[in-house]
Amino acid sequence: MTEQIQFQPRITAFLCSWCSYGAADLAGVSRMQYPPNIRIIMIPCTGHMNPKFILQAFRQGVDGVWVSGCHPGDCHYVSGNLFARRRFVVLKNLLEYIGIEPGRLHFTWISSAEAGRFQEKAREVVHAVQELGPISRLVREIGPVREALRQEL
Amino acid sequence: MLELIEQIRDNARQLLEEGKVHCVIGYRQGSIPMRVQPHFAYSPEETDKMTWSCFCTQNLAKYLIGREEPTAILAQGCVTRNIAGLIQENQVKRENIYILGINSPGMVDYRKVQSKLPGRVIHEVLEENGHLLVRGPGYEEKILKRDVKRDNCYTCNHRNPVIYDQLIGEKGEETGGGNIDKVAAPWENLGPDQRWAKFQDTFKDCIRCYACRDACPLCYCKECFVDESKPQWCGKTVDESDVHTFHILRAFHCAGRCTDCGACESACPMGIKMRRLTSKIEKDIRQMFGFSPGLDTQESPPLSVYRPDDPEEFMLK
Amino acid sequence: MFTARMTLKNSCLSKRKLIMLEKIIFKNNLEMLLNKISREYEVYAPARVGIETVWSLVTKADDLEWNFTNTDLSPKGFLFPQTECMLEFKNIPRSADGMILKRPELKEGSKALFNIRPCDAKAFSVLDLVFEQDPQKPDVYWKDKREKTLLLGLACNHPCPACFCTSVECGPHHPQGLDILMQDLEDRLVLKPLTPKGENLLTDLDQASEQDINLAAKLEKQAKDMIQGGLGLENIQAGSILDIYEHSAWERLYESCINCGTCTFYCPTCHCFDIQDETRGTYGRRVRNWDTCMSPHFTLHTSGHNPRGRRIDRFRQRFMHKFKYMPFKLNGALGCVGCGRCTQKCPVNIDVREVVNTINI
Repeated sequence: MTEQIQFQPRITAFLCSWCSYGAADLAGVSRMQYPPNIRIIMIPCTGHMNPKFILQAFRQGVDGVWVSGCHPGDCHYVSGNLFARRRFVVLKNLLEYIGIEPGRLHFTWISSAEAGRFQEKAREVVHAVQELGPISRLVREIGPVREALRQEL
Repeated sequence: MLELIEQIRDNARQLLEEGKVHCVIGYRQGSIPMRVQPHFAYSPEETDKMTWSCFCTQNLAKYLIGREEPTAILAQGCVTRNIAGLIQENQVKRENIYILGINSPGMVDYRKVQSKLPGRVIHEVLEENGHLLVRGPGYEEKILKRDVKRDNCYTCNHRNPVIYDQLIGEKGEETGGGNIDKVAAPWENLGPDQRWAKFQDTFKDCIRCYACRDACPLCYCKECFVDESKPQWCGKTVDESDVHTFHILRAFHCAGRCTDCGACESACPMGIKMRRLTSKIEKDIRQMFGFSPGLDTQESPPLSVYRPDDPEEFMLK
Repeated sequence: MFTARMTLKNSCLSKRKLIMLEKIIFKNNLEMLLNKISREYEVYAPARVGIETVWSLVTKADDLEWNFTNTDLSPKGFLFPQTECMLEFKNIPRSADGMILKRPELKEGSKALFNIRPCDAKAFSVLDLVFEQDPQKPDVYWKDKREKTLLLGLACNHPCPACFCTSVECGPHHPQGLDILMQDLEDRLVLKPLTPKGENLLTDLDQASEQDINLAAKLEKQAKDMIQGGLGLENIQAGSILDIYEHSAWERLYESCINCGTCTFYCPTCHCFDIQDETRGTYGRRVRNWDTCMSPHFTLHTSGHNPRGRRIDRFRQRFMHKFKYMPFKLNGALGCVGCGRCTQKCPVNIDVREVVNTINI
């Protein structure tokens, strides 16, 4: 059986500071193993999410983006995630409509106690992006070949 | 058409004579075939230049933003919807504007006329009932108007003004005959690779002139996201990634507000069909949230509100 | 009228001792000429793509389009690309060779622009004055490409309604900037060499007959007569800058302008650009992109002050730059060649002829 080096995607996770980031923190403290491909960016609330952030991530060459917030009704700022839910569906539909493969952009609700759920979703997201391979669409290339850059980063 | 023009001029003249408004915004004859120019009449005499034709493709609601004095505006269906939207967004005060509503027969896309006469120089285009008379060196052609209308005019559902202070002419047919839901998102039947190919092909000619953004009445931000530099979300080059980022974000910013007036496509000097993005977004908003922008000045825009039962199928459960 | 600026590069009418004879070639023999040109140059010519005529690579004579007024975008992008990398650097601050800006090799190939219109060629001459105004420090990116470019112009027989070259010291047969001027006589071309570069290419061709030369002259007159609208510049040229600046008509002219950048990008003489640095990992570059004076942030200072913060200021500046400031600074050279693209492409149909004529009163 041949040993294949599996493609390791780079995934940017925007986690809301009150719930999902807490879950990630708890998973870490509890020594739960989750894939290291996730690079976390903390945002105050998913209501702060802006399509600019997601597009910027893809432009920089990340293979997948994951946004996670509090469950509807549990938002620390009352309704931030409820506004976000509407905006997510519009953006996701638009990005998939123009040809970004379904599976690169994910949204979840994870509360701060759900460390296990965080671990589970992290594995799912990494797996989904791994299947799709490295991203080529929307990436901003300005200089030398992508692969060389991937090594450096 | 001539009676409508007379009516427009009479009404405009009266408004200015009575001092009801400071300015009347309309159209006047363009300097080259198939064009009109936005016209600002500040005195009764200046209303003599006002016109109305099938080439009135600019969205005049753009010029209402930032005006302090009472202004009258000639507006057809989609434009009145934009005015309602601007009132909703507090960019225009209802009491400051006097709307001369008019039914739109559907506007002609000058590019479609040119494509019917490839390589020919067009010296003159006369609008007649149902067709256009096109004249040039050594030729004269008749072209049916219904063959050369703007894409969005075929699927329009609001040809009559939705809000107005005075109606010019009569209310006419409400729809253009086409079904917007059938044509709004043609790439939905394609796989990701084909969709991407179509997307790339749509925007390959973009030269970042921003005519689409500047012609759009929804785009009134004092600082546009393209000018943000700390950080720079969207580069200024014509590299594919920068062009795509601009169009995706602009389409998203128009989500739930775009009335499909077509001013963007009419303004684009390269003939890019950027409505392919906005019409998909508007279709989603119509079907998921049951909302059509610009029909009610009191209703809130869909992305500023939420319902407890908003769709969640797209989430990773 | 024509003064000192006629001694621009490539303009040779007054100085040649040798007589450059007009030559003739039949269109079905063009392959031979094209092959000769392609040995040294990559040949580009206007070709119809859909409803537009765009600059395309040409490999055979059949690719050439003869039935067009002018190209969609002007050819200035060949010498002044919309996005151009000027300098590169290694984005590694702690490295010995990091953060040092180096110019990439200027390895653009030689290009021949076949069937370029005289107005677009004259525009290159105007841009030469701008980009090479300091002989000690010319814009090397422009200069390098300019020297490698051959211009074979096609005189206009059918100017379009928006053309007004005859009002701005140009014309449908204007030779300035060209290496060769060609005249279309249906099945054949009369070719007039204007520079040594041009003449070398035509050595194998037959001399044109007296009749053909006369026919060409007749077509030139017809073309000039066809140009309908024009613009007057006497009062603008005679008046002081401040008088024109304070003209009352600007208040009424600017209002419909939506401040996009269409006119500036289509204009063959517009040349403003914005420079910025971009990095991606360890690679960095300094890139220049076309910029437009119509953009609200064009004159925004870091202090926050914006001298042209109002639409009227930007609108006025564009026309004053082309018709007043440029002639003032460049020895009389106008910043407009009368191609009419701005009028045709403007989303709100602002006509440069109407604006200038109103200010000229």
